Amino acid sequence: MKKADRIFGVIGLGLSLWFYLESTKFNYMTEFTPGPGFFPFWVGVILAILSCWLLFDTFRRLPSEADVMKILPEKNALYRVTFIFLMLFGVRMLMPYLGFPVTVCLFVAGILFSLERYGIFKSIGYGIAYAAVTWVIFGHFMEMNFPKGFLGI
Amino acid sequence: MEILNGLMGGFATCITPYNILMSFIGCLLGTMIGILPGLGPSATMAILIPITFGMNATPAMIMMCAVYYGAMYGGSTTSILVNVPGESSSVITAIEGHQLAKKGKAGTALGLSAIGSFIAGILGTIGLVAAAVPLADFSLKFGPAEFFSLIVMGMLTIIFVGGKSIPKSLMSAVIGLGLGCVGTDIVEGKDRFTYGIAELLDGIDFVVLVMGTFGIGEVLVSAEEFMKVEPIKVKFRELFPSLKEILQCRWAILRGTGIGFIIGILPGAGPTIASFVSYGIEKTVHKHPETFGTGVLEGVAGPESSNNAATSGAMVPMFALGIPGSGATAVMLGALILYGLKPGPMLFVENADFVYAVMASMFIGNIILIIMNLPLVPLFASILRISYALIYPAILIICVIGAYAISTGLFDVGLMLMFGVAGYFMKKADIPPAPMLLALLLGPMMERSLYQALNLSYGSMLTFVTRPISATLLAISVLMSIAVGFKSVRRARALVKEDDKA
Repeated sequence: MKKADRIFGVIGLGLSLWFYLESTKFNYMTEFTPGPGFFPFWVGVILAILSCWLLFDTFRRLPSEADVMKILPEKNALYRVTFIFLMLFGVRMLMPYLGFPVTVCLFVAGILFSLERYGIFKSIGYGIAYAAVTWVIFGHFMEMNFPKGFLGI
Repeated sequence: MEILNGLMGGFATCITPYNILMSFIGCLLGTMIGILPGLGPSATMAILIPITFGMNATPAMIMMCAVYYGAMYGGSTTSILVNVPGESSSVITAIEGHQLAKKGKAGTALGLSAIGSFIAGILGTIGLVAAAVPLADFSLKFGPAEFFSLIVMGMLTIIFVGGKSIPKSLMSAVIGLGLGCVGTDIVEGKDRFTYGIAELLDGIDFVVLVMGTFGIGEVLVSAEEFMKVEPIKVKFRELFPSLKEILQCRWAILRGTGIGFIIGILPGAGPTIASFVSYGIEKTVHKHPETFGTGVLEGVAGPESSNNAATSGAMVPMFALGIPGSGATAVMLGALILYGLKPGPMLFVENADFVYAVMASMFIGNIILIIMNLPLVPLFASILRISYALIYPAILIICVIGAYAISTGLFDVGLMLMFGVAGYFMKKADIPPAPMLLALLLGPMMERSLYQALNLSYGSMLTFVTRPISATLLAISVLMSIAVGFKSVRRARALVKEDDKA
């Protein structure tokens, strides 16, 4: 966990710098009240102090049981997480072109086939079922306007 | 009398077929999702928010409350049958309940858990009604300075009491405050951190953050491995504990309820601490404390009642003051805002019918929950046999739909994915996302209160210490900070001593 804390500490310092720099673009105070720059300025300052505290703590303390744990998962798990994330990103990018039901079907079938080792027909079957159920619940009953793709659905 | 009349009105509103159906669906879905290993009530509510889109505020909130206690009960089932607590408040149940299950008493543990939760739910709701209304009346005296101090105190308590690591919880909260700065500022109407993106002008939507960090983040962690769980089998006829067993646990249930409700009211303490305190007390008062850890009935009944009563207690500051006391109530508060309501003391003035209807629905929801859960536990347990590979794609799709529905656009979906990755790494690095969520909700309120208070006092900061309520709240915050700081210094000294010895 020490390594994770150090990474988080450094990210925190980066964020604090960003908040501070952004805050300088706005007025810090108006005549009586804090200006738009007041809150981001103090967020930056406090975050910087806390990041230093966290970093300092990682150098001071003895390694505990949690410190030997890895933050990044094993190779296979990392592959699974990355794949799922990329599939979700694909949903985000393709939905305007393929439409909601087709994208959902491809997402589910893709995950089940590639990641969970389901057969191709079974994966497609589940994909169609999930797309249909979600479309009926959210599109039909709850009248959400989902993007329509080239198939017109 | 006014409270009773209000409550009767609430019952009249919520005893309609539609609202009862919503409560039933909420209990059912909450239990079904909450039973999945690794998904606690906060994540369950976050995932199920999209289902309430398009509904009126009253049935939507009735459903969300039902989801909350359904998820609490679902989490207990997983703890007892699989030994995987959905969230920290079920840890104790996993210790004692699973031992009972291994002894062939899974049904008794589940039955006692259901009965304890039911009694605690009903008594806790009575406590909620009795405490929230006077507190809301009292808080009508609050001005911006008092609200600012209250928010400061609430946030500090949540961080100090709730988090494992104080700097990490504080950092999570400060990042949340930073995220709360995104959008049009209230002082000069300038765009902050929007970078010309129109979708960010209204700020970051809470649903996007909660679905990303709790929904996507949790699912990514769970989906790292091929999850295969082997729940202990339960039969219907084994589900009812004997009268002797119920009577044996009656004091544990009542003690748990009292402790849970009081602890639940404190911001940040919530169900986890309540269940641990209740367990500790049961162990102390038990004739054979050495048997704890081997499957003791009181060790399940007490903490289970306690964590359920704490959920009612946590709703007191949420309804009365608009200050959430835990991650789950923060999700609920966000849902309130989403339904177009303004949380805080004025809620009781402007939307009294709504508040009483929701409170009344909690009585009905608890009755539905026990009627549904006792006979259906074997069915719910069978959900654990469905491959997780088939469940998580559905959860992810619901999250995408939820983010899409906010502005009927894909920008929020992208933002949610970003928070999902952040939530995943936060979970891996043991950084609690709840303070960030609370700060996102409370940050803009805090900034507004500060602005209004200083405006009214012509820029004098003394307004926060010269007004008695505000000064008291700030004094509590300072004392709490000093106590925590003192504890940290002592811990640091102990570490240095250990270093020297090594």
